[in-house]
Amino acid sequence: MYEQDPAAQFVHQVSAGYSLPQTLPQYTFDETPLRLTDRRGRGGGYGGLGGPGVGGAAGRSLLYSPIFSTPASANAAGVGPASSAAGHFNFHTTSATSASALTSSVPATTHHRSSPPHFAIQKMEPNPEDLVAQEAAAREFQPQLEGPFVGEKTPSSAITSEYAKADPVYIQKTAVLPRTYSHYRPIQGDGNCGWRAIAFGYFETLVKGGNKGQIEAEKLRLEGLNSYIETIGGHSPYVYTDFVEETLLLLDRVAALAGDPEQAMREVYATFNDSEIGNAIMYHFRLLASSYLKGNQDTYGAFVTDEAGVQGYCSNVLERHQVEIDHLGVSLLVDVLLKPVGFVLEVAYLDRSPGSEVNSYRFPEEARDRHPSTLGPIIYLLFRPDHYDLLYVAEPEPIPEPVTVQVHRVAFSPTYDIASAPVSMPSYGINMGVLGMLPGFHGPPPGLAPTLLDTSPSPLSAYSPSPTSTWMTPPFAEPPQQAPPVSVAVQAAPVPMSLPIHTAPAVVPAAPLQTHPLRFSEYCQLPEYVENDTWREPSFQTSTFRNSHFNVAHYNNPNFQPEEYRPEAEDYEGPQRGNGKKRASV
Amino acid sequence: MSYMDDTQNSAPGSLPASKAATGAATSKKVNENATKRLQNELMQMMTSPAPGISAFPSADGNLLFWRATIEGPEDTPYAGLNLKLSFEFPANYPYTPPTVLFITPIYHPNVDFSGRICLDILKDKWTPAYNTQTVLLSLQSLLGEPNNASPLNGEAAELWDKDPALFKTKVMDRHKDIEED
Repeated sequence: MYEQDPAAQFVHQVSAGYSLPQTLPQYTFDETPLRLTDRRGRGGGYGGLGGPGVGGAAGRSLLYSPIFSTPASANAAGVGPASSAAGHFNFHTTSATSASALTSSVPATTHHRSSPPHFAIQKMEPNPEDLVAQEAAAREFQPQLEGPFVGEKTPSSAITSEYAKADPVYIQKTAVLPRTYSHYRPIQGDGNCGWRAIAFGYFETLVKGGNKGQIEAEKLRLEGLNSYIETIGGHSPYVYTDFVEETLLLLDRVAALAGDPEQAMREVYATFNDSEIGNAIMYHFRLLASSYLKGNQDTYGAFVTDEAGVQGYCSNVLERHQVEIDHLGVSLLVDVLLKPVGFVLEVAYLDRSPGSEVNSYRFPEEARDRHPSTLGPIIYLLFRPDHYDLLYVAEPEPIPEPVTVQVHRVAFSPTYDIASAPVSMPSYGINMGVLGMLPGFHGPPPGLAPTLLDTSPSPLSAYSPSPTSTWMTPPFAEPPQQAPPVSVAVQAAPVPMSLPIHTAPAVVPAAPLQTHPLRFSEYCQLPEYVENDTWREPSFQTSTFRNSHFNVAHYNNPNFQPEEYRPEAEDYEGPQRGNGKKRASV
Repeated sequence: MSYMDDTQNSAPGSLPASKAATGAATSKKVNENATKRLQNELMQMMTSPAPGISAFPSADGNLLFWRATIEGPEDTPYAGLNLKLSFEFPANYPYTPPTVLFITPIYHPNVDFSGRICLDILKDKWTPAYNTQTVLLSLQSLLGEPNNASPLNGEAAELWDKDPALFKTKVMDRHKDIEED
């Protein structure tokens, strides 16, 4: 489709003039994990409307509109993964100096050479016809939509691998994402995803609560809001009854299944994947949000940036099918739908802003600085520019002692890695410095390792922070006597972060298999190792190592393999939240 | 609300049809949803009619095709004229707008000679909150207040301001009452 696009030809033309690499169009249209949403008809080269929901529109427009090469759109484009590639050439530079520098270094055609700055301006101005054609193409562009409206719960490491070749900021952020949020649920990017995600999250949270009384109360409350839609929102009952009815019917069905959450979730899932019913429920919520805005203009009116005012914003954005929710829309929907029932919404923003983790933001405002345990149920959303998905944190569990964490790592390192793979030593950072001073550091007796590895849960007391207490201390050999208290600690520890030797088979059935023959040590080849399934790769957790190419989860690693999580082990992979930071600082 | 209680979604606890639905069953179901909505709208047109407009499904019993009539508002060149329109509703109505055409030949800046209408709410400004009645009311006001900035009929747009008398003549020349088929 793009090769025939006149706009694409224009890019060729420009690139020839500048003698830019011929791969330019390829950069622009490179396959990208960015989900394309926002089908609003006016999708063009505008940006900066404010609010996370719309900011990404300009990013999309660049991906498909190479001629919108103004500096503004170039900046706005720095939100999508693909723009990392686009950012490598200075095509968007319009300053006369760099443009003339380009031309002088290039055997340009003669009439261009005569007046470089003029040439620059001329060539950067797109042909109006191309602009029109491009705008028409952008207007008619329909993203290829795949999959169900609401997908199955998926390990969020899938996001990590999706971004494995994206911008470093994305790699960093998606690499740590699965620690906090173990799973996500993809939502179709048809322009309704934010509305759909919140609506689904609302029903899912009701189902998880399992409180029939609460669900019935919600039905009554939403029924009561009909008059609000009518009087404040100004919508005829003939319009809204169809939409509201579907919401109420689903609440009925969920209430009837309140004792059977699994069946109720299947019901919610099937309902949301029925296009008509799912759309009706979403549209009901759109009407609620727009009515709420009309009824609270004093509070929210100032946030309406649409030049058509509140009424125009309602009919142009909130009430239009397949127009994405923006920040104001989220606030409105939370206030009218989630807040009265005590649900909290937390949005994790995955974008190219500086930082090593996704930024999260909580609605409503008063829930922002409070500990999750003091809040009601939380619905988590993942926002990537122009798209929302649902996220899930594993249920919080007791946070293990940080001492346990550190000592385990020290104890394990020499047996596994030092003797076999010295190349990864620097990755251990501080720990290695300490270890280097220990006697016996360079050559653990071969006979020791099996014993050590068979000894799954080790007594904590044996690993006091003192650097002189080494892994050779006797308690290793006699774990049973102190095993019970330790096994509790091990259970509490997040599996992906703890080293395999502490993962007793009883705790985690069917441990993840990561086969990387090159990294085996000679000890690992021993039959008893293989039998015990103890030769697996440890999950390296120091931030230095994690971000280096020695980590197999790093895309530069020759044995690259994304981290894997298994839903069935979810209960044990849990408490990454809040715990992750502690470990990273160790 | 009793008239809609006979749909398949009413029984609490019943699974949505999509679970076992084949493609054909799904599209049938989509039609049912659009049909349900159109039944509501028909009810609205009959119980709370707006002055000067009317609409009814075509004679063949298919709820997705409607005929509508707009009486030309007073103080407009269309005063006293009866203008007929056809509505074709898509299967996923109300999420996409109906296709609306003037069947009666009409001379108007925003209507071309095939009866096609240039009105934003029938295109990209459509929302599922609009319905047949609001569309007809919008078209009624469009008769008196054309959007001359984006005309389909350039001559009409020009004459509207320049020569109202000639405009009125052209309207009457073009108008032709059509038989109900």
